[in-house]
Amino acid sequence: MDLAVDLQGITKRFGAFTANSGIDLAVRRGEIHAIIGENGAGKTTLMNILFGLLQPDEGRIALNGKAMVIDSPAVAIAEGLGMVHQHFKLVPSLTVADNIFLGMEIRRNGLIDRAAQIERTRVLSQKFGLRVDPSERVAGLSVGIEQRIEILKVLARDARTIILDEPTAVLTPQESRDLFATLRSFVDDGMTVIFISHHLEEVMEVSDTVTVLRDGKVVATRPKTSLSKRELVRLMVGRDVSFDRRPRGPVDGKAALEIADLWARDDRRLPMLKSASLTVRSGEILGIAGVAGNGQTELAEVLSGLRPPSHGSVRLHGQEVLGLAPAQIRARGLAHVPGDRMVRGVDRNASLSANMLMGRQDKAPFSHRGILSWATAHAEMRALIKRFDIRARGPKDPARSLSGGNIQKVVLAREFTAGGDVLLIDQPTRGVDIGAQEAIHDEIMRQRDQGRAILLISTQLDELAALADRILVMFDGRIMGEVDGEAMDEEAIGLMMAGVDPATPVDPSTGIDPIGAAAAPAFPRPPASEEVR
Amino acid sequence: MKTLPLPSGLLRTLAGQALAFVIALALGAVIILMIDESPVAVFMTLMRGAFGDAEKIAGTLLQTTPILICGIAACIGLRGGMFNVGIEGQLFLGGFAAAWVGFAFSLPPVLHVLVAMLLAVVAGAAWVAIPAFFRVRFGTNEVVSTILANYIATLLTSYFTIFLFKRPGGWSETPPILESAYLPELFSFSRLNIGLLIGIALAIATALFFRWTAKGYAVTMVGSAPKFAEYGGINVRKVGFGVLLVSGAVGGLAGGVETLGVHHRFMEGFAPGFGFDGVIAALLANGSPIGTIFTALFFGALRAGSLLLEVDTTASREIITVIQALIILAVSADLLMRRRGDRTGERRWKF
Repeated sequence: MDLAVDLQGITKRFGAFTANSGIDLAVRRGEIHAIIGENGAGKTTLMNILFGLLQPDEGRIALNGKAMVIDSPAVAIAEGLGMVHQHFKLVPSLTVADNIFLGMEIRRNGLIDRAAQIERTRVLSQKFGLRVDPSERVAGLSVGIEQRIEILKVLARDARTIILDEPTAVLTPQESRDLFATLRSFVDDGMTVIFISHHLEEVMEVSDTVTVLRDGKVVATRPKTSLSKRELVRLMVGRDVSFDRRPRGPVDGKAALEIADLWARDDRRLPMLKSASLTVRSGEILGIAGVAGNGQTELAEVLSGLRPPSHGSVRLHGQEVLGLAPAQIRARGLAHVPGDRMVRGVDRNASLSANMLMGRQDKAPFSHRGILSWATAHAEMRALIKRFDIRARGPKDPARSLSGGNIQKVVLAREFTAGGDVLLIDQPTRGVDIGAQEAIHDEIMRQRDQGRAILLISTQLDELAALADRILVMFDGRIMGEVDGEAMDEEAIGLMMAGVDPATPVDPSTGIDPIGAAAAPAFPRPPASEEVR
Repeated sequence: MKTLPLPSGLLRTLAGQALAFVIALALGAVIILMIDESPVAVFMTLMRGAFGDAEKIAGTLLQTTPILICGIAACIGLRGGMFNVGIEGQLFLGGFAAAWVGFAFSLPPVLHVLVAMLLAVVAGAAWVAIPAFFRVRFGTNEVVSTILANYIATLLTSYFTIFLFKRPGGWSETPPILESAYLPELFSFSRLNIGLLIGIALAIATALFFRWTAKGYAVTMVGSAPKFAEYGGINVRKVGFGVLLVSGAVGGLAGGVETLGVHHRFMEGFAPGFGFDGVIAALLANGSPIGTIFTALFFGALRAGSLLLEVDTTASREIITVIQALIILAVSADLLMRRRGDRTGERRWKF
């Protein structure tokens, strides 16, 4: 068998902790090999060993059939290995071409030959179908394009085996799909792709072979075709996890959050929220579906007071709150779990207690006459760690020492206990382990059963299908339509997510792309009045 | 004080800075060798000049006082995410304001000092209010605007001194302040005054404020995670403005202490570089007010020791500036390395 990568019995210990234990991994040339496992299962450690960033304590490595010792990334690169890291390492002030050739600049007479670099970048970009503008500066580019640059960087170094560490974590679904198409074309060219993920759907979509890691051990290596999603979950988590629809009683609460004709602009000053109207009742979960970047973030930010609205009305329990400061909106009963939890949701370097304190630092029992009681804060955090099953040693741990799922639980714990009865939850399980996802869903359902009104924004349809009573679909800043959570029609949601107005009939017999056919009448240019709002 | 969550992190910080000091001193020794002096003799002279006897120690503490108060001013800014490099200017204006109250008005003893100090504080705060306003309103970089404000402040006070309030006679200085405005001295043999106690009390109060009050928590959060603070309902602009104002006020206070306690008049260039030394002392202490007590003492000792250095050896006083610069280089290299370790793979800087 023609193996691009052959690892045998790789073991790596960090002190008393064994990150990788006797791992065998055989990656055939010309396949997409997914390595899947929960956070902390040892995926990244294994890849760092393969790439020469870490040295294994035991085990053998063979690349392209040759046994080798990879004691630095340079060795790995020379052998045709390339790694695209989860967090991009680009220099924002340099151009795309400069970034790609950083450290291996094309030189002429001792000076950097920029024209040649730009030309080489253009050729590479064309050859692999990764569209970039070589002379553009990286600073203003989207993450999707930044990732393309990272991949081009690897290709410029003549990689034949490409490792991607959680490549889709930062991408929108369209960008992910583009990426998958690119990976597929690599494989068709005879290259090999190793793809690290904890996202089931992607793995099922893109890979040929799947290796599942759990607690630093290989649980299974199988062709994708022989695996079902359910089976994959059981292998990853070690038990059955249910993502079925949660059983629930009927909604009979009063309207708690009413939004009428709400408009707002995005950071580029373009209208991004267009006449959104909705109502959430107490004891109800209203889901907002949609491809990321269609106004959901702006909606959440306007509701919580972080973004100035252009026009409209937002009522909390009948009281107008639009235009109030975030603190005042909180005081009127809105709790907010932000979508960007690492930036908005926590201070990574502060302790858990300090993170829990945010928003209640001047309220009893945490402070009296402006003097903080850290003892009370630590005690409260200790209680929350227990109640929300947060995996942390104690309340004084810095937030950055926790995994993504546990950080999210800290945010949920703070917001769910803040006293608000309207919960605005943005992407509750993005980047969170499957086991933790289930626990977070349990907690959201508990909040519903306690009569809280919940606005749940998610890009994951299965999450909405499990939790939401009703689902609204957003596209291009508008609410396209509503779907009943009990009888969710994925087809209908998918069309609305793509911008097809459900009111516009589409003739199925013609077989014409419904998006192209319907989009034109459904989206007239915004009237001039919008521009001056 | 349990200000840091990770004791190992604290240990790492101390060990790293100690190493940086050693490297800087070693480099300093090389330079001293280059001017044909014995490094050992120079260091011994420095030590004797700084701590040789009670008078010398008092002299060191006298130099430490303004650096310490300026350092606390810088700490306050740093904690709130504001880099106030304009402390030198606030010090000059505060010093002038206190002197003006001291010579132009006649008030009962204690009240005279209080009014003079109050005006020094107001002058410092008012001076930083301009850059602070532009910072929170338009996002102007406060580092640049406060540095520029320094030049205006020093020249403005010179103008006041030379053209408006000059004492008859040779020197460019104001008339002496009345005795009712003197800060009480601690010992008979030195000009060391209660300004030192004010500085230490201020350091402790600042540390307690950040650790134990809701406002201090809000300031810390705005400094370390502004988006998180905004989301949590803290008014980031208001806090940023307030932090700069208080920082400037403390800078003004440093000037007041220096005039009322030491010189008893305002003169051109009365406190050269104390503001900048304070900023550096605060940076070396990583923004910790308590740590600043020790870094300020170190700089004070260097300044005091250098006086004897010129008398007893052929080395010039400027060698101290060189050593100081080396220490700053070494410690900031350590800080940078640590930061790089902390943010592996994360992209925090974007132009």
